[in-house]
Amino acid sequence: MRPGIDWSQLWYPGPTRVFSDDELARAGADRPGPTLVAVALLNYALLGFMLLQMAPAAATAPLTLLLAGTGALAGPIALRVWRQPSRRALTRWSLVGVTGLLLLLALVIRGLDLAPGSDARAWVLAVFIGLCSLLSLGWWFVAVYRAHQIEARLREQAEQARALAMAGQLAAAQIQPHFLYNTLAALQHWVQVKDDRAAPMLAALTGFLRATLPLFNRPRLALGDEAAAVREYLEVMRLRLGERLRYTLAVEPAAAAAQVPPGLLLTLVENAVEHGVTPMLGGAEIAVRARAEAGRVVVEVQDGGPGLAPGAADGVGLANSRARLAQAFGGRATLALDNAAGGGCIARITAPLETA
Amino acid sequence: MTTAPVTALIADDEEAPRAQLAAALAQAWPGLRLVAQCANGVDAWDAFLEHEPQVCFLDIRMPGMSGIDVARRIDGRVPVVFVTAFGDHALAAFDAGAVDYVMKPVDPARLAQAVERVRLRLATREAGGAPALDPAALQALLAQLAGSVRRPAPLQVIQAGVGKEVRLIRVEEVVYFEADSRYTRVVYDGPAGGGDALIRTPLKELLAQLDEAQFWQVHRSVIVNQRHIASAVRVDEGQMHLVLRGRPETLPVSRHFQGLFKGQ
Repeated sequence: MRPGIDWSQLWYPGPTRVFSDDELARAGADRPGPTLVAVALLNYALLGFMLLQMAPAAATAPLTLLLAGTGALAGPIALRVWRQPSRRALTRWSLVGVTGLLLLLALVIRGLDLAPGSDARAWVLAVFIGLCSLLSLGWWFVAVYRAHQIEARLREQAEQARALAMAGQLAAAQIQPHFLYNTLAALQHWVQVKDDRAAPMLAALTGFLRATLPLFNRPRLALGDEAAAVREYLEVMRLRLGERLRYTLAVEPAAAAAQVPPGLLLTLVENAVEHGVTPMLGGAEIAVRARAEAGRVVVEVQDGGPGLAPGAADGVGLANSRARLAQAFGGRATLALDNAAGGGCIARITAPLETA
Repeated sequence: MTTAPVTALIADDEEAPRAQLAAALAQAWPGLRLVAQCANGVDAWDAFLEHEPQVCFLDIRMPGMSGIDVARRIDGRVPVVFVTAFGDHALAAFDAGAVDYVMKPVDPARLAQAVERVRLRLATREAGGAPALDPAALQALLAQLAGSVRRPAPLQVIQAGVGKEVRLIRVEEVVYFEADSRYTRVVYDGPAGGGDALIRTPLKELLAQLDEAQFWQVHRSVIVNQRHIASAVRVDEGQMHLVLRGRPETLPVSRHFQGLFKGQ
């Protein structure tokens, strides 16, 4: 969308976003910081001092009165606008302020009995007009500044919440309860009937858990470490599915050193087993490959399953993987799913090759 | 109650849980006789038609046809108990008590409970009582559960090798499929002419890939395109056959499927 001019700002200036009480509470800081207050006071005092230096002696008393009164009026109004930086509040309090200034002006002229045409009266009127413009501008600035500050804080909070949620999802997604319980069911049975497959199954499951559990809290790990966990996972599945699962796993040494967000490869392999192998009556093959190529690491997981369902959307695992790739590499990493040439589905991650 | 043992079918695509269930059932229900142990949904449905078991224990995630799809086809004719792993499925819907389930790994106490319920339902049925849930409600519940199971896209084209050529038959041109020992005979009739061909895919596997609304299974070994059915004729008690539009042959309708043709 092309940014146009918001003409309503001419007659109704101020921030367009209206914050709810809850948002204001979350943003915190319901009064400006001491630095901002000090800077404003100092500038105002300097302005007053310069005006009094320039003005004739007769205008000193009325100007001092006018400046002091204006200051007393402007501060509390700026504070109100700060607390609720909306157009409505800005307009309302600006009107109150200007009315107050007019009353103050009348008080000064009448009270000190400044004659029409006198120098002092001309100075007071000129300064009054200047102060009116200065204050409207100042209040407007307070509203806009504060609105931006609140927006930035809310955005920051939202991002933190998202990162936390993602970390939680990662931990929950890593070991699928479905996988664990089905594996335990098989294991329990084989132990009961003293089947020889119990020992290798327990070894593979232990290896998988040992490799996977420490991954949760690390932002990155070497692809080779994740491949080791994936090998244990595939071994567990091969024991469970028997002839139905065949797999190959080939990770080039250069690619094994690549630092990647944890869990990506495992998610792709789990998807390949779930959608590419178990739905097939005769089972299928899975090929996991990783190679280094011109400063990038390329990871592929190919299955011999039914291929992509037309119009299929990303599941939780894939959506999560995309988000975590983007978080780690920005736009420099890709994750694509395609139908493979010989049938089945191929998932491919490419990312910058970064080593620890 | 009769003294004959109750017959059962169990299906799970993994060998270990299937064997475990068989062992646990032998403990929980000594009078039960397993007539079929199947490794996928396609075999389970076929074995159901062949052996006519009185109760079925079905895993939900299975290749070919899910346990829920098999239960939909069984359509309340016999009690079904689902066997499922934790996190496998929307189990909340099962809690309605309409459809029973046990979790893997199988807990003996929980299985004994499910067995008790099945025996009660079988006894009620034998005494001529009404089923626990009316068929329409059961179908609705299963359809709701089936929504969360991924199903492959329906078949569009069948490739049949005839001599040196491979003939491409559009599925909508098929009149019927018939199991022929290890092959399936495809009889078709389209604008480009009709004929028949043998394909290697077994009928039971084709079934799961066809649009249920268009292709009706009428016999363990026959699936017919309903657009070609002219009429269903009851020959005598228990016997029925189909007359096709513009074709001389008739097709048998086995007892299980006679409910499809009841007149209105």
